[in-house]
Amino acid sequence: MIHFSLQKKLHSADGFISLKADCEIENGAFISLYGPSGAGKTSLLRMLAGLLQPDFGIINVNGETWFDSQKKINIIPQQRLVGFVFQDYALFPNMNVEENISFALSKNDAKEIIGEMLEITGLSGLRNKKIQTLSGGQQQRVALARAIVRKPKLLLLDEPLSAIDNEMRLHLQEMLIKIHSHYNLTSILVSHDMREIVKLTSKTIHLVNGIVTEYQSPAKIFLNNSCEESFLKVIFLSSEKKGKEFKILALAGNQVITINCHEDDAKDLQKGNEVLVSYKGATAFLRKL
Amino acid sequence: MIDSAPIYLTLKLAFLTTIILFFISIPVARWLSQKKNIFKSISEVFVSLPLVLPPTVIGFYLLLAFSPANSFGKFLENHFDIRLAFSFGGLLIGSVIYSLPFMVHPILSGLSSLPASLQEASYSLGKTKTQTLFKVLLPNIKPSLLTGIVLTFAHTIGEFGVVLMIGGNIPGKTNVASIAVYDEVEAFNYHNANLYAAILVAISISILFLLYFSNRKLQEVKII
Amino acid sequence: MNRSFFALLISLFIIHGNPSFAQQKKIVVAVAANMQYCFKELKNEFEKTYPIRVDDVIGASGNLTRQIMQGAPFDIFISADTKYPATIFENHFALEKPKVYTRGVLVLWSANPALQLQNNLQFLLSDKIKKIALANPKIAPYGTAAVAVLKKYNLFDKLKNKLVFGESISQTSQFIASRNADIGFTAKAVVLSDEMKNKGKWIELNHDDYAPILQSAVLLKYGSENHSAEAQKFYEFLFSEKAKDIYKKYGYIN
Repeated sequence: MIHFSLQKKLHSADGFISLKADCEIENGAFISLYGPSGAGKTSLLRMLAGLLQPDFGIINVNGETWFDSQKKINIIPQQRLVGFVFQDYALFPNMNVEENISFALSKNDAKEIIGEMLEITGLSGLRNKKIQTLSGGQQQRVALARAIVRKPKLLLLDEPLSAIDNEMRLHLQEMLIKIHSHYNLTSILVSHDMREIVKLTSKTIHLVNGIVTEYQSPAKIFLNNSCEESFLKVIFLSSEKKGKEFKILALAGNQVITINCHEDDAKDLQKGNEVLVSYKGATAFLRKL
Repeated sequence: MIDSAPIYLTLKLAFLTTIILFFISIPVARWLSQKKNIFKSISEVFVSLPLVLPPTVIGFYLLLAFSPANSFGKFLENHFDIRLAFSFGGLLIGSVIYSLPFMVHPILSGLSSLPASLQEASYSLGKTKTQTLFKVLLPNIKPSLLTGIVLTFAHTIGEFGVVLMIGGNIPGKTNVASIAVYDEVEAFNYHNANLYAAILVAISISILFLLYFSNRKLQEVKII
Repeated sequence: MNRSFFALLISLFIIHGNPSFAQQKKIVVAVAANMQYCFKELKNEFEKTYPIRVDDVIGASGNLTRQIMQGAPFDIFISADTKYPATIFENHFALEKPKVYTRGVLVLWSANPALQLQNNLQFLLSDKIKKIALANPKIAPYGTAAVAVLKKYNLFDKLKNKLVFGESISQTSQFIASRNADIGFTAKAVVLSDEMKNKGKWIELNHDDYAPILQSAVLLKYGSENHSAEAQKFYEFLFSEKAKDIYKKYGYIN
């Protein structure tokens, strides 16, 4: 069980934000940290890693006290056995893939673990490559392998996939799930991507202006006003009329779809408008948001 | 023919100064590159001071400090039987002070330009600050280290004002090439002065070429 | 734009309006370092009698000579030896031959209160004396004299490791006064000056132990051509009775 209760005054673009977070995380859980930019997500992660000192609070990891402001305990990052995947990957340019991954290992550690890491991240063929020659997706995998090579007590991922293209992103998400369960890690993922959060994680901390507004399953957080009718939120792209048939072209999530509907509904729509599509039976009704 | 001792003396002074400063400046630059506070800002000013102080001022204050009539000089004389003025050791101290910013600034600049996440990643992987410095930070600022070394070396070769004040022109010990040029001119031996000067220029140009080409090679391995 | 023009105009008026500026004659004298203390009195004495302002430039004789031969605008050169003024004359930077105005005296001086000076110079070999200062013989006449004295007593080679060379009598004296050198050779005029009078002890060396330090002065070509009357007056003053009294006061020999 990981428990933290932290407070810190953070500088933001508009002044100060008082960060206040009190949560419990089960061992083996994969949770996410969601919220607008500047809410304090990265700061919270850094506090858990020991890279940022909280003003007040405690961090307890399976009985070990990592931080206690009252007892003046502050374990340095080196001794916390965390794995941290940075937003800019922070790979060491002077080392190749294998050296980056084995950097954390001491002389006594078994070398087989490196092979295992390379295997599970699909990097076996690249072990001797200089990291500057790798693609974004490959670098991300090295960063991940490096972070988990010591089987950390807590894996912290700071928007690891934000700079990756969609296809590779899906691939890496699969890999994250696989690794998380294989090594039974306890992980916290910071992400802006709602789909990613819903797909990978079981619980979400919703952080707004430094305050935890919700801490529950992501599905429940992202569920918009429940409605009797089933509905869909899309982005209007264009419209097309073929004889009596009228349809619109719209972006729904990751896909571009066509929706047959009434011409009147689409009268005032412009490219980029958010539209609520509700179905009554097989007929679609559009409402501009 | 001219005496070659001044040239060797100049090279010896430059070489030793560079080595000493290299080892002093790395921890200093590291310390200054971390989170700032008022104490560090003041220290940065002092490190940069030799850049703006006339060398003769540095030499003058050193002469006062070294004098056995004053506390520091007296301390050295009484406890270690050392007289720093007019000695190679005194020149070395003057040289280290005079060229300090030329080694510290490039290294500090290099360390500051590295992303903070690099050393944080190293800490999160269990490495101490010192291990991080030697395994992660320094290997990634090789061009800055080279710049510091070469600038310091070249700057010390040209040192004149400080040596003029505290050197005492002792053959084989403190009459470096820059002083030799001056003396030959004073004695109207323009031919000898030209020889010393030409050799110094040749050395300086070679050093600059070395810096230029080595830097180009190092640039091929850039940071992401 | 207008403001600065106005300011310039006003300053021009002030400069030209000031009677002393326009009318006072002025000469510049290059003075060898050892003479700088003595020169102050010479200057004051001269200015009492004549309405001529005398400015000085102090330096090592060699240094000043080089500057003169590169066209420095000095009217008169008061040297510490005869060689440099002779060089100036030979190179046509003076129209008349230089003349000896006085003779310098070498002393041994220490600012270290613990040191006892003896007339027998062998005491310089003692371990108590770590550094001995003298002017660079290549460029300063008092340095040449010091070397001559040391060689006469077979001390030069033995003391080589302790010798420290100043670029001029000024720097040499400074090494001695600051006690960075335990003892050193300098001009008597220095130890008799107001500034250095009470600093330490000194002994005068036998005049026979070194070739006389004949100090000559020369009226420079620049002076003859630009300030002929004034320069001539001061040059002649250097050889007057009043001047000789002042030299004597500062330990020089006439």
